[in-house]
Amino acid sequence: LPAGLSQWFPALEVLDVSGTGLAELGAELLALPRLHTLLAKNNRLGGPGSLPKGLGQAPVGRSLRVLNLSGNRFAELPPALLGLRGLQSLSLGGNRLHGIPPDIQELRSLEFLYLGGNFITSIPPELANLPSLSYLVLCDNKIQSIPPQLAQLHSLRSLSLHNNLLTYLPREILNLVHLEELSLRGNPLVVRFVRDLTYNPPSLQELAGRTVKTRNVPYAPSDLPENLVRYLSLASNCPNPKCGGVYFDSCVRQIKFVDFCGKYRLPLMHYLCSPECSSPCSSASQSSTSQSESDSEDEASVAARRMQKVLLG
Amino acid sequence: MEQPVQTETWKARSLEELIRILHRIFAEDKVSVEEVQELMESYESNPEEWLQYAKFDQYRYTRNLVDNGNGKFNLMILCWGEGHGSSIHDHTDSHCFMKILQGNLKETLFEWPEKKGNGEMTKKSERVLRENQCAYINDSIGLHRVENISHTESAVSLHLYSPPFDSCNTFDQRTGHKHKVKMTFYSQFGERTVC
Repeated sequence: LPAGLSQWFPALEVLDVSGTGLAELGAELLALPRLHTLLAKNNRLGGPGSLPKGLGQAPVGRSLRVLNLSGNRFAELPPALLGLRGLQSLSLGGNRLHGIPPDIQELRSLEFLYLGGNFITSIPPELANLPSLSYLVLCDNKIQSIPPQLAQLHSLRSLSLHNNLLTYLPREILNLVHLEELSLRGNPLVVRFVRDLTYNPPSLQELAGRTVKTRNVPYAPSDLPENLVRYLSLASNCPNPKCGGVYFDSCVRQIKFVDFCGKYRLPLMHYLCSPECSSPCSSASQSSTSQSESDSEDEASVAARRMQKVLLG
Repeated sequence: MEQPVQTETWKARSLEELIRILHRIFAEDKVSVEEVQELMESYESNPEEWLQYAKFDQYRYTRNLVDNGNGKFNLMILCWGEGHGSSIHDHTDSHCFMKILQGNLKETLFEWPEKKGNGEMTKKSERVLRENQCAYINDSIGLHRVENISHTESAVSLHLYSPPFDSCNTFDQRTGHKHKVKMTFYSQFGERTVC
């Protein structure tokens, strides 16, 4: 970037340096208080120092709304980005990302997140803490599973998951009522019944966590180390209506196929807190009464019908 | 035995001229697929001429009507953001021409599923169409999926459908099951259509 950029063009609002071969964006950027859109795609950014230090605290850090870094060489989300509290749109498509840092939740204003065409293998549940996220693109990666917490993204309107390594989806995905677009093609989605998957007994930490949550043991951030406070916030509720329990990492997993009006069969993963629990779609005892099965079947199929118009192709 | 259609080699020097020649061609009783395809390919994309129709949507590709061909055809511009793609679909017994105006689009051809099909649909072929190339498909050729596989560039394509149609079938690649859908326009003649 030319030196003195912010002195020559202090009112700059949009800067497009795409396809210029830049290997770093320097401090010249920092003093542009009106810059809301920065397009730097198809460059050679990605090494340490690609983005200037203090980006989040600088005037440009408060004004920036749209940042496009697609087609570069980032192997990890640059930490300098995380201070951009006002950022609404971020694209890192076509880079070399292997994962998404949990700290992504610091981008509180994010509405549009494009991460297609990377090497991402998993999604941190913290992604679900972005309250305004409406467009999430994760296509063309190596993702094997979706954390059920993603169903908390109430504003999500479009979710792109095609060309990954998904074999099933979390049942909670049916809760995304505002979802209008969902792409799942090019995933090895399981098509046949899968027996109960192996159950790893819960660790002491998990058992303690479950007790704290189910007995409503009060605690404040000052009572516990930060990592345990975060751990407790990741509790998931057991879907068994008779259970009311929670689980963290240790759960029974069952794949249940949900029919979309007899046309599509989506494999949804049910998580239960213990082998003694049962999914809402089967009764506790082995002999299932057709009544209870059809009741919970209805609940799933109503939600499924809502999603049906979304799930095309 | 049908008389061979009198074909000419047209060169459209602008989008306006392309539309004028299309009106002339489609005024006849018989239209040659090769003639239309060559005409579409001959037009060298000039963004200034079509930018007013190219309205993008953040979440999915858009269909923007340019000309309704006196009822004989529909000419529209489709705008594809990064990663946007269509489902596998048919063309309701119509001819479909697709010309790339900007960027690239991947076209994957599929066989029609078996009547009692309950298995994965068969891919016939795939190719990436480059700027100014024009592809043609109809139901006897097969079904296709069109997608912008770029994560950095958007794409714009010019489509001609004759006769015009507003519904088609989409197909689930994993099972071959089909589902009828109504198609709508994001904008018509450069004006955003509010639904």
